[in-house]
Amino acid sequence: MMIDKIESHLNAKFPDALSNVAAGDRHVIFAVEQKESYPVLGELKSIGFDHLSDVTAVDYIDQQEFELIYHLRSHQQRIRALMKVRIPRQSPVASSVTALWGGAQMHEREIHELFGIDFLGNPDLSELFLEDWEEIPPFRKDFDTRKYVKEEYYGDEEQYPVVKG
Amino acid sequence: MSFLTIPFGPQHPAAGHFHALIKVDGETVLGLDPYPGYLHRGFEKLMEYRVHTQNCMLLDRICILDPLSNEAGYVNAVEEIGRLEVPVRAKYIRTIMLELGRILSHISWIGEMGMALGFDSACRIAWGDRERIIRLNEIISGGRIYPVLFCVGGVRRDISPEFVDKSYEALDYLERQLEFYDSFFFKNETFIMRTKGVGKLGASEAVDLGVTGPNLRACGVDYDIRQDEPYEAYPEVNFKVVTREEGDAYARCLCRRGEIAESISIVRQLLKDVPGGPHRVQLDPMYKTPEGESHFCVEAARGELCFHVVSDGSPIPYRVKVRGPSFSHSLVAFPYLAEGSTIADIPVIYWSLAPCPADMDR
Amino acid sequence: MAYLTEKINGIFSPFVLLKNLFRKPVTLQFPYDSLPPVAGYRGRHILDLDKCRGCFVCSMICPNKAITPVEFRGRKYPQVDLGKCCFCQLCEEYCAGAAIRLTQQAIMVTMDKESAILGPEALSQAPTF
Repeated sequence: MMIDKIESHLNAKFPDALSNVAAGDRHVIFAVEQKESYPVLGELKSIGFDHLSDVTAVDYIDQQEFELIYHLRSHQQRIRALMKVRIPRQSPVASSVTALWGGAQMHEREIHELFGIDFLGNPDLSELFLEDWEEIPPFRKDFDTRKYVKEEYYGDEEQYPVVKG
Repeated sequence: MSFLTIPFGPQHPAAGHFHALIKVDGETVLGLDPYPGYLHRGFEKLMEYRVHTQNCMLLDRICILDPLSNEAGYVNAVEEIGRLEVPVRAKYIRTIMLELGRILSHISWIGEMGMALGFDSACRIAWGDRERIIRLNEIISGGRIYPVLFCVGGVRRDISPEFVDKSYEALDYLERQLEFYDSFFFKNETFIMRTKGVGKLGASEAVDLGVTGPNLRACGVDYDIRQDEPYEAYPEVNFKVVTREEGDAYARCLCRRGEIAESISIVRQLLKDVPGGPHRVQLDPMYKTPEGESHFCVEAARGELCFHVVSDGSPIPYRVKVRGPSFSHSLVAFPYLAEGSTIADIPVIYWSLAPCPADMDR
Repeated sequence: MAYLTEKINGIFSPFVLLKNLFRKPVTLQFPYDSLPPVAGYRGRHILDLDKCRGCFVCSMICPNKAITPVEFRGRKYPQVDLGKCCFCQLCEEYCAGAAIRLTQQAIMVTMDKESAILGPEALSQAPTF
C-alpha cells in the first residue's frame, strides 16, 4: 500500500497513537507512546514490513529520556518506515521485538551493553564488545571518553611533551 | 550429550579478527557462539567530540576494505539535514570512486574466499590485482588505503587527465583478469563441489535475519539501493542487478563475480562524460548544520550501510549511528547457518557471506 | 558428454597457474626498488618558517590533536607529533598562509617515541626519502 494509506490504516487501528508524522517520497516517520509501541510494530510487520534494518538509541540527557528508533523496510513495496519511542531515563525498560524479527536480538544486546536499556523478552543480554567493564554504560552522555582515557592510560604522564627546536 | 568446544579464533588461517566457539559432536556442529569486539573502537562516541570536517577522517576506518561507502553515507546524511546542493561534477567523481571501491572490495573477497578453501594461490593473485585500483586511489587522493576524499559539499580533490588514462588501463586489465579468474577459480571443480548446496538460505529466512547485499540477492530478492533509492550519479547510469535463485554459497559467490563485471561497465559509462564545473562548495570548517536528523542508506559492497545523524544546531553531531552490514551477517546469519553443518563447511559459510569484522564492531 | 568435458576441465583448471612460474613477479624488492612517487602523496609535513603566521588553525582543525604550539626563535610555531598524526592533510587545506604542506616522504622510522615529535626546526628541513 502507498505511504498515505499506511498512515490511515494505522490511524484506523490505533486512534491517536501516531504523532509527528512526516512523509517523504519513499519513507514515513512517526512517533508513538511507549505503551502502543509493541502493537504498532506487530501491525507494521503484518502489513509487509519484514526487514528490520536497525534499532537505534539516542540519549537526550536534558529531557531525561532515551529515544528508541526502529528502522523498517518493506521489500515488496520498497518503502521505509521509521518509528520512534521515548522511554524514561531512570531505570529504562522496553519490550523486545525478537519474536517479530529474529535479527533484532543482537541489536538489542548491543544497546543493552552500550546504553543500559533493559529489553524484556530477549533471550540473551550478555556482554558483546566490552570485557570486564565496570563503569557506567559508555555511550551515555554523562560518560566522558577523553577523561576516562586520560586517567586510565596516561595517568601522570605528560601528554604533550614540549620539544625545543 | 557430550560435546567438544573448538575455538574458531582470531589466530586461524581462515578467520580474521573474529572469534567464535564451536560446539561439535563428532563432525557435526551443534552450535556456534560469536565473540566479537576485537576491532571495537567506538566510532559513534568518538564522533561526538569532533566537527563534521574532522569526522570525515574517521569514516574510512569503519570498514577498511571498502572505505568510500562509509564516507558517502555520512556526508550525504549531513548534507540532507542542511539541504546542501552538491555540484554535479562532484557527484560523478564520487560515483566513479564508489564503484572502483566496490570492485576493490570484491577482488579482496576473492582472495579471502580462496584462503577459506585452502587455495592460497588465488589469494595471492587477487591481492596482487588490488594494486591497480589502490594506485588509482593514490593518484586522486594521496592515500592508498584511506583516501580521505569526500567532504561535506563535494570532494576534496579533482580528477586529472592522468587519472582518467590510468583508469582506462586498469579497467581493461581487470576485464582480462576476470576471464582468468573464471578459468581457474569460478570454474574450478573443487570450488564448485565445496560451495554448492552449502549454507542454503531461503528468501524469507534471510529477510527475517537482516541479511542484505549480494547475500540477499543470491536468494532471489532484488533489493539494491542503487536502483530503489538512487543517490549521487546513479540515476544517470544503466546497470543490471545480479540475482540468483538458489541461496547457497555458490550463488553468493557468483553474484559477486557478476557485480564486478557490472561495476566495470558503470565506471566506463561515467568516465566518458564527466561534466565540468566546480568540484566542491567551499564551506566554513566549523560548518553548522541546522537542527534535525536524517537517515541515509548506501549500498556498500558488503551490504546495506546506514547512517543516522542527529544534529542539535552545533558544528558537532549529537549522535551518529552506523549500521554495518556485517553486523547481521556475522552475528546472526552465521550462527544460524552453522548449526547442523560439518566442521569443514564452517570457513566456507563464513567467507561466502563476505563479512568485514571492522564493520561489525565499529 | 559436454557435461563430462566441463567437469574434467574443472578438475584440471588450477594447473593453468603453473605459467606464473615463468612470469615476472608482481612484488618489488623494497628498498632496492620502489614504486615511482605520485604527486600529491600524503607524507611527512614540511613547514615554511617565513610563511607561518602563528594562527594555529592547523592545531584547531587537527582531529587527533597532533599539532601543538611551542616557543621557537622568539615566537610560537607548530610542532607535529607524528605518532598521533593520521596524515589526513586537513592542516594543509586550512592553513591560512600556505606554510605547512605534506611531502612525499613515506618512510619515517624511529626507535623511540620522543623522536617522533618534530619541532619547528626539524619540520623545516627538506624531506629525505
